[in-house]
Amino acid sequence: MSTLLKVVDLKKYFPVRGGMFHRVVAHVKAVDGVSFELEKGRTLGLVGESGCGKSTLGRAVLRLHEPTSGQIILNGDDLMTLNREALTAHRRQMQIIFQDPYASLSPRRTVAQTIQEPLDVHKIGTPREREKKVEELLDVVGLRKQVLSRYPHEFSGGQRQRIGIARSLALNPNFIVADEPVSALDVSVQSQVLNLIARLQREHGISFLFISHDLAVIQHVSDDVGVMYLGRLVELASADDLYRKPRHPYTKALMSAIPVPDPKKKSKRIILGGDVPSPMNPPPGCPFHTRCPDAMPRCKEAVPPRINVGSEDQPHFVDCHLFADESAT
Amino acid sequence: MRLNPLTARKLRRFREIKRGYYSFILLVTLTVLSLFAELLINDKPLIISYDGQLTFPTYSAVRLGVDFGLGGDAANVPVDYRDLQRRFREADNGDFVVMPLVPYNPYENSEVDGIIRSTGPNMERQHYLGTDTTGRDILARLFYGFRTAILFSIAFTVLTYLIGIALGCMMGYFGGIFDLLFQRIIEIWSNIPFLYMVIIVFSVIPATFSIPTRITILLVIMVLFSWTFMTYYMRTETYREKARDYALAARVLGASTPRIIFRHILPNTISTVVTFIPFTVVAAITAITALDFLGWGLPPPTPSIGELLKQGTANLTTAPWIVTSAFVALVLILTLVTFIGEAIREAFDPKKFTIYR
Repeated sequence: MSTLLKVVDLKKYFPVRGGMFHRVVAHVKAVDGVSFELEKGRTLGLVGESGCGKSTLGRAVLRLHEPTSGQIILNGDDLMTLNREALTAHRRQMQIIFQDPYASLSPRRTVAQTIQEPLDVHKIGTPREREKKVEELLDVVGLRKQVLSRYPHEFSGGQRQRIGIARSLALNPNFIVADEPVSALDVSVQSQVLNLIARLQREHGISFLFISHDLAVIQHVSDDVGVMYLGRLVELASADDLYRKPRHPYTKALMSAIPVPDPKKKSKRIILGGDVPSPMNPPPGCPFHTRCPDAMPRCKEAVPPRINVGSEDQPHFVDCHLFADESAT
Repeated sequence: MRLNPLTARKLRRFREIKRGYYSFILLVTLTVLSLFAELLINDKPLIISYDGQLTFPTYSAVRLGVDFGLGGDAANVPVDYRDLQRRFREADNGDFVVMPLVPYNPYENSEVDGIIRSTGPNMERQHYLGTDTTGRDILARLFYGFRTAILFSIAFTVLTYLIGIALGCMMGYFGGIFDLLFQRIIEIWSNIPFLYMVIIVFSVIPATFSIPTRITILLVIMVLFSWTFMTYYMRTETYREKARDYALAARVLGASTPRIIFRHILPNTISTVVTFIPFTVVAAITAITALDFLGWGLPPPTPSIGELLKQGTANLTTAPWIVTSAFVALVLILTLVTFIGEAIREAFDPKKFTIYR
């Protein structure tokens, strides 16, 4: 397996301005040094509670939010070093599926115009070929040809999400950021869209960065899972491994919140005290130490290193001092 | 071209609001008619039949009396067609003159018994609303004044919206220093008193400038000091639309900035701008009338409602018909436009037709 996307120490700080003359008084550290790799044709799920920086990470990877620092290496090219034109050319490879299907389609454009736009922008094919491509894409996402001349407001949420997916597929990308693509949909429609995404991945070999706060959805679609807390990736492992044996205290707390469909089985819930600290002023050391049930004095001082508690070919990374002695040999 | 079904629905709703719709039809009819005012209210006839030959002098050059067999004093001066009509009628040899509905132009001073003075409405002499203090036909002046006012306010609206929308959209889209700079410039600019500027400019420009030039200068000054209000609205709208997912989606696709602005942001912001237009037209008509009333508006002898109002108030007791006609005409025009504005606002009510869910 070859690596498609490699993100190294990505940071996105939003400046907070205030006082006289609009000075920068602080930064919201939405993404604070995230590194991961994504292989071809695989899905990396990102979970975390709201405000932890999942969506910002997804958009920073696409340079929709200009990252503060770090490297984004897609197919060997560092996106951060590209100028405008080169970036536009690279945009053909990477796309995004948005959370809110009501906001992601321009209300004044027909379905045909919306899906065809990527082809128009990159001047692909003749007008006739573009029309044909649009019809193919509709077929791929399971919509009828009759919808072409209609407007977004005439569709349900699930149908709109399909239109959005068709648009992101138009350029045959090999990497798609799916930013909570099903959170705004009904549960019955969620599974349809998830199956569609799974099928696309099988048939086209697209890599997904799948962002969600829904642990069940993440488990269903992901090959690997990353857990985010306060702008950092605290645990990164294969989905099976992570769900079977979560290591980081935060991941354990998250997992204990998954409802178990068995009334007799009493699962032990780990209730976290306190609130998420402000990303404007994150605690020193491990960002989780203020709420961690296993916090040690060391956690307040040193940022935990990334430790591989799995094997060489089945890595399981944890950013936690608890496993400092356990690192794989 | 196929309309967006939402737009089609808004238009249908506008047609259902009868008061606004009929006002719209009436105003459009009046405006179109006023473009052909020369055929309706003029001292030149529509058709002359002389010696079996037809002439249509409305838009032609000045004709002299000799052309129509007039001798004596009338031979080498421009033809008085009303007089010609009378002569042809008396001669009764098949020649005839068809005059427009009101056979006076808005500039000529018609005298009664050799004295130029204001006369009341007179059907026989075809001064249907009477004449003003210098003997000019009031109906003619009102109609030509209406034409000037409506064309002026349409030009004014188009220009202010063009500048306001373009700048406001740029401020909202580019943000940052550009936005900050222009906000401050606009704040300073919009605090310059516009009336003083008009007075100063018109006391400086030489009287030799032709009337169309002077009207253009007035238009430019008014536009220069009025475009700012539109930027506030467009700026915030653009800020909002720019952050919506569909605009982001266009950026991910690699769409260029002009493409995002013209294909995505403008179509989604501009539909609400439409509701402001009638009220801007009302404001423009009121402004130009007020300026005329004060004597700083359209240069004389351009016919205008404000100028008639001024004459009317000065001669309230001796010639009440002047102020009555001017007042009724002004109220009528403003009411029509306001009705249209209300109907458009109602038809475009975002609560009824939200484009998001």
